[in-house]
Amino acid sequence: MQQLIFGLANGSIYALMALSIGMVSSTTGIVNFAYASVVMMGAMVSWWLMVIYQFSYIPALFVAIAVSIVLNIVIYETCVKKLGNLLDNVGWIITLFGASIILDNIARMLFGTEPQAFPYLFGGKMVTFFGANIMLHELMMITIAVVIGVAYQTIIKKTRFGRAVRAVAFRPATSELMGIKSEKIILSCFAMAGAVAAIGGVLIAPITFASYTMTYSIGLKGFAAAVLGGFGNTKGAFIGGFLLGLIEAFISIFVPAGIKDSISFVIMIIVIIFLPGGIMSAKIFNRNWSAAEKV
Amino acid sequence: MLKVENLTIAYGKTEVVHHVSFDVKKGSVVTIAGANGAGKSTILNTIVGLHRPKEGSILYKGEDIARKAPDKLVYKGIRLVPEGRQIFPEHTVEENILLGAYVEKDAKKIRDRMDEMYDRFPRLKERRKQIGGTLSGGEQQMLAIARALMTGPDLLILDEPSLGLAPIIVKDVFKLLTEIKQTGVTIMLVEQMVDNALSISDYAYVLETGNIVFSGTKDEVKNSDDIVKAYLGNV
Repeated sequence: MQQLIFGLANGSIYALMALSIGMVSSTTGIVNFAYASVVMMGAMVSWWLMVIYQFSYIPALFVAIAVSIVLNIVIYETCVKKLGNLLDNVGWIITLFGASIILDNIARMLFGTEPQAFPYLFGGKMVTFFGANIMLHELMMITIAVVIGVAYQTIIKKTRFGRAVRAVAFRPATSELMGIKSEKIILSCFAMAGAVAAIGGVLIAPITFASYTMTYSIGLKGFAAAVLGGFGNTKGAFIGGFLLGLIEAFISIFVPAGIKDSISFVIMIIVIIFLPGGIMSAKIFNRNWSAAEKV
Repeated sequence: MLKVENLTIAYGKTEVVHHVSFDVKKGSVVTIAGANGAGKSTILNTIVGLHRPKEGSILYKGEDIARKAPDKLVYKGIRLVPEGRQIFPEHTVEENILLGAYVEKDAKKIRDRMDEMYDRFPRLKERRKQIGGTLSGGEQQMLAIARALMTGPDLLILDEPSLGLAPIIVKDVFKLLTEIKQTGVTIMLVEQMVDNALSISDYAYVLETGNIVFSGTKDEVKNSDDIVKAYLGNV
C-alpha cells in the first residue's frame, strides 16, 4: 500500500510535468526543452522564500507559480517567437536548450550547489490508511494533480478558450480568420504550462530535495512520461505519468535504488520502439477513431 | 464597399501580384477568375489580413484596411471562407459554428444566429454532435459558410467554393450564395471554374500572373471570345 501511494504520488508529479510539456507541444508542436529548468526554478524560488524569508508553504507556492509563468513567457518571447515561422526552422531546439542551461546556471549561482531540504505540506503529518503510514503531503500531491488534470480537460473541452486552443493547434491561420489571436492563445498556453511546472516542482521538492540538478533528475522523467502517454496528448500525459510512477515504485522493491532511474528510460525506449505514438496510440484505445480529413 | 487600388503583393522578393486595382460595389457579387497561380488566393488573403501588401491600399467602407490584423477585420464585417473549406476536423459541427462566432460576446446573439444557421442548414443540425472531419465535402462547405455567417458579415469572400465538389453540390452552393446575396451581403468570389460563378455575378475580373487582363459585366465576359478561349474554357 505504501509503495502504491508513493508510486501514485511521484507519478502525479510526472503527470503534471508531462501535462506541462503537452500543453505547449499540442498547440505549437514545440517541445519545450527548457521546461525542466522552469520546474527546478519553481522549486528553488519557493525554497528560498520559505527558508530565507520564512514564507509558509502556500504563499511560497503562489510566488513560485508567478515566477514560472513569467519565466515561460520570457522563454517564449525570446527563444521561440523571434525565430518566426516555426514550420520553417527548428532553431527552437537549440535556443530552448540554451535557455535551460542559462537558467540552471543562474540557479546554481543564486542558490548554491547543495541539495536543500524542503519542507512538507502540513509539516510532514502522517495518516494511517489501510494499515499503511502515509504522508498527507503525498495524498495532496495526488489530489492536486488530479484536480489540475480534470480542470484542464474541462477547460479544453467545454469553454470558448478551450475551443480556441484546439483550433489554433490544428489550423493556426484559419483560426485567425475566426478572429482568434493565435499568438495570444499560444502565449497563454506557455503561461499555463509554466504554472503547472511550478506546482510540480514545489510538490516534489520535499521528496527529492531542491537543487539545480532537479532539471535532469526530475525533468527527464517528465519527458519519459510524456513520451509514454504520447507526445502532445494531454490525457495520455496523465496515464504516462501515473504509470511511470507506479512502475518505478514497484520495481524499486526488486532492484537497487541506483538502477531505478534507468528503468524509466528503458521503458521509454521500449515504448518508442513499439508504440511511437505513445500508449494512447495503441489500437484498443482507438476503436472509433475516424478523423480522416476530407479536403 | 471594397476598393482595391494599385495593390502589389510579394512573397519575400518575389512579386506575385502587380499593381492590381478593382472595385466591389455594395450588394453585388464580384468574381475574380483566373488559372492556378494567377494570384487570386494571395489577393484574398491580403484583404483579410493574413498577408501584408508591399504597396497599394485596400479601402473598405472608405477606410484603409491594408495592414490590419485578421481579428480586427472580422469585427468590421469581412469574412473569408478559405480555399479547401478548412473546417476544424476534430471539433464537432456545433463547435465549428461556435468558433465562427468567436469574437461575438453576446450569448443571445450567438444562440439566435446558430438557430438561424440550423434553419438554413438542416443537415448541419442533424449532425451537430458529429466531428467535422466526418462530414462529406459538400457538408463541409456548408459548414464553412455557416461558420463565416455567424458574425453577420457585410462582405463575404469565398476562395474557390466549388473546389473538389460534385457538380450537383456546386449548384447547391451557388444557389445558397444567391440566397445570401438577397439578404444584403456583398459577395466576392474567386474561381477557376467560372461558369457557375459568372451566372450569379454582376461583375467579373480576369487575373493572369498577377495582372488584371480583363474586366466587365458577366455578359461582356461571355461575349468576349478571346478572353473566354484564353482563360476560361467553355462558358
